[in-house]
Amino acid sequence: MSFRTKIFLSITGTVVFAVWIVAGVVSALVTKSFERRDAQRTATLVSQFHGEFDRRGAEVARRLDAIADSDEIARIAVDLSSSQFDPGKYLEQAQTLAREQSLDFLELVGPDGTIISSAEWSARFGYKEGWLLQSGDSKSIFLKREELADGAALGLIAVRTVRAGNGQLYIAGGQRLDEQFLDTLPQVEGLRVRLYNAFEAASPPLVREVQQQPRELTRTTPDAAITAIPLSGRDNQLLAILLVENSRSELASLKKYIQGTAFLVGTAAVLLGLLLSFWTASRVTKPLRELTSRVREVTGGKWDTRATVGSSDEVGQLARDFNRMTEQLVEHRDRMIQAERVAAWRELARRLAHELKNPLFPLQITIENLQRARNTPQFEEVFRESTTTLLAELDNLKTIVGRFSDFAKMPAPQLEQMDLNQVVQEVIRLFDAQIHAPGRPPVEVTLDLDQNLALIQADSEQIRRALRNLILNALDAMPPAGGTLTIRTQNLDGKVALDVSDSGAGLTPEECERLFTPYYTTKQHGTGLGLAIVQSVVSDHKGTITVHSEPGKGATFRIELKV
Amino acid sequence: MRLHAWAWLALSSLLLSPLDGATLPRYGGTLTVELSSAWNSVESAGPIAPLVMETLVRVNEKAEIEPLLATAWQRDADRKRWRFSLRPKVFFHDGEPFNAASAVPSLMAALKKKYGDVNITAGGQALVLQFDRPIPDLLTELASPRTAIFRSPSIGTGPFRVTAWEPSHKLTLAAFDDYWAGRPFLDSVTVNLGTTRAVGDVFDIPFSQTRRVLSERTRIWSSPVRELIALVSDNVQPEVFEALALVIDRAPIVNVLAQRKAEAAHGLLPQWLSGYAFLFTNSPDLTRAKQIVSRLRVAPLTLSYPANDGFARSVAERVALNARDAGIVVQPTPNPGGTVRMVRWPLESTDAASELSRIAAMLGMPDRANSLNPAKPETLYEAERALLDAHRVIPIVHLPEVYGIAPRVHNWETAQKNGGFVLHLDNIWVDP
Repeated sequence: MSFRTKIFLSITGTVVFAVWIVAGVVSALVTKSFERRDAQRTATLVSQFHGEFDRRGAEVARRLDAIADSDEIARIAVDLSSSQFDPGKYLEQAQTLAREQSLDFLELVGPDGTIISSAEWSARFGYKEGWLLQSGDSKSIFLKREELADGAALGLIAVRTVRAGNGQLYIAGGQRLDEQFLDTLPQVEGLRVRLYNAFEAASPPLVREVQQQPRELTRTTPDAAITAIPLSGRDNQLLAILLVENSRSELASLKKYIQGTAFLVGTAAVLLGLLLSFWTASRVTKPLRELTSRVREVTGGKWDTRATVGSSDEVGQLARDFNRMTEQLVEHRDRMIQAERVAAWRELARRLAHELKNPLFPLQITIENLQRARNTPQFEEVFRESTTTLLAELDNLKTIVGRFSDFAKMPAPQLEQMDLNQVVQEVIRLFDAQIHAPGRPPVEVTLDLDQNLALIQADSEQIRRALRNLILNALDAMPPAGGTLTIRTQNLDGKVALDVSDSGAGLTPEECERLFTPYYTTKQHGTGLGLAIVQSVVSDHKGTITVHSEPGKGATFRIELKV
Repeated sequence: MRLHAWAWLALSSLLLSPLDGATLPRYGGTLTVELSSAWNSVESAGPIAPLVMETLVRVNEKAEIEPLLATAWQRDADRKRWRFSLRPKVFFHDGEPFNAASAVPSLMAALKKKYGDVNITAGGQALVLQFDRPIPDLLTELASPRTAIFRSPSIGTGPFRVTAWEPSHKLTLAAFDDYWAGRPFLDSVTVNLGTTRAVGDVFDIPFSQTRRVLSERTRIWSSPVRELIALVSDNVQPEVFEALALVIDRAPIVNVLAQRKAEAAHGLLPQWLSGYAFLFTNSPDLTRAKQIVSRLRVAPLTLSYPANDGFARSVAERVALNARDAGIVVQPTPNPGGTVRMVRWPLESTDAASELSRIAAMLGMPDRANSLNPAKPETLYEAERALLDAHRVIPIVHLPEVYGIAPRVHNWETAQKNGGFVLHLDNIWVDP
């Protein structure tokens, strides 16, 4: 993840999280406030309902008193006491009186509880209203379920009695408690009141719940907060449920507004984060990116590169430190080069001294022997042997000088298209006599050449020389009991690989590290130039040479060359 | 003829009506009639149409056929050929004389509608009707307003002629000076239709208001019962319907809802028509009804009653109350399509056999007309018993027509004794 992305995510995340927290808190506070307001509005409405209930009840009582005091009722009361009472005369009497007094319900009931006339169900004459005999003239107003021809209704009922002979004429009447009754309540926006008869089956779930267990219940939905209030009759029987529905649309719209605002702020935060991240990144990462590119230059070998110091902050300090570091690196490199040159000269001098000292000592002995034998009869024989030795040692000296000369005059490669497999086969043939020479330990040669090996652009003579050195090394590394020399070629991705493996004693990791250093050798009589020549050839061909070895498990040299 | 009527009315007034007897008949004046029913044409205007158009015969107060436009008739033994002698010196309201030829068009149309093919031969004042099958109830049919004689709509031979006609609203009649039975006493009659106002000289009133009208010193006149209120079932279990029939208490309906003006209907035909209706009388049997219901799984019933009919609604509600006592839920509704229908069947004929056949047809039950013999009332009883035992119909109450009569109207009660299902206005007079 880039530094700019990190900054962007940090700023955006922080702002969005803060906005989310604020929006959540505000939303919760608003919800709580609305719930408190809903509860207050519900309580007010219920109070108004009870007030209207009492007012309408008083009105019903007044109208019922008027009926009880009317001449018609007095006439019925007198008629009731006669033996030839004919209820047919009063079939519509209750309807007439109810109409006059604007009552929805009115029943005139005889002393034995028999209905004489019914306004709400005229056909019900002759049937009994037993409850009236027990209630009498209680003066109170109560809720009652009224049976009607087309079902049942809820009534606000009062009862009056009038003396009729030895008994009483009961007058039970009232008004319907329905949605029209609720219409008289003050209208409050967002507040809806409904009245459900408890004996109606088709009701909302909350009403059904109260029907099963009469108690005040409140349920909150996303759209409304609904409170169900049970209303009971005289014998505490549940008769109706008042449903107060507080619309939450205002809350919902407010919440929506808060969410919308939060979304807008969040979006703005993202944009701000984007801008800030760009600005911060340009301020902070620009010198860092420049420093990074300077570092890349250093890793690319340009050690004398310098970073621009544009500020005095940490980044500026970093640039100054970088410049100091590169200065020190250059100084160190120069010192190293100097030291290496000295060391190389010393090593060269040591090698030359060592290489040249070995033939010089026999030359000195041989010459001294020749001087001592100058006047002796064996002079001729000594002379012949001494000159032979001298010539041999001079050849030896010439060989040593030739090797140093070869290393010194390594030419630039002449690239041409060549088949590496063919080179391998030609070079291994040159070693055929040496490998199978009598007295030498047996060496088994294994060629594992990829027949589809790609052709490469290389100097075949230099490649041959490098391969010869690797084979010589491998043969020198063979144990006294003999071993296996394996040469393998294969295609790699855009390259070809050449492996030369021996089954010798192997190399330690430290030896592997120093193996390609000029004049370094693990052999007693080596010049230390063989592998240095190989590395020089490979390097001139833009290739790589590596060695894989473990002590006791032989060693494998791999040359990789571009196709 | 007018003098004849005069003498008859004077005698009857002296004997029967002290009030009318104290008032001498007088010509002139307009009678205002207020009716709750409404009709689209004069021919179909129920009790009013006979004031304008007359039939060949009519039914008197004893339910006997007597002459009207026909003075005599003969028939062959198999009742296929009927010969009527028409009344002479009768004129239509447009002045054309009434004869056999002028009677043919309206008579042919009505009889073809009822009996199919009929051959009518007209010759002077003789009319011969030839059917291809026996027509035993022909005279009853010829007494029906359906077979009234008219030249064109609204032009008949009745005591009054039409001077103005607003369909379903108002009919204005004037005395027909050339009426064959003598000019009516009234100069004119105004009939307002579709009104429920208890005003005017004559008005029909619902049962529930009869007592109130009495208190206003208006006379109440009830016709003989002319209509049956019954419950009809198309697909209710017969056992359930039987239980419903057992639980209905007709006494409160008659005494209270109908204000004692009606008759409890235990049979389909009223006593005056069948003569055996008392044999069906029974009392509510709640215990047996409950036993039947306990054996059944009774689904709630809906009882459709005629819309805008207050009396039918009260009866339906009373039936629902009675049914509830036996555990049968009945929900009255003014909407059609209930599982039980409340019907109002006005009598259309004074022939019991014809009425039974008509009721059987309306119930969709087999017509036993061939086995009915008016001379043998037991055949009628068995037929009616079979209709009731099928438990498709429950008769509840037979209703009369009830009119309020203003004090200025005289000779009303006597005039209506001419019988039939019509209002007789030709022999009444009014105070100025």
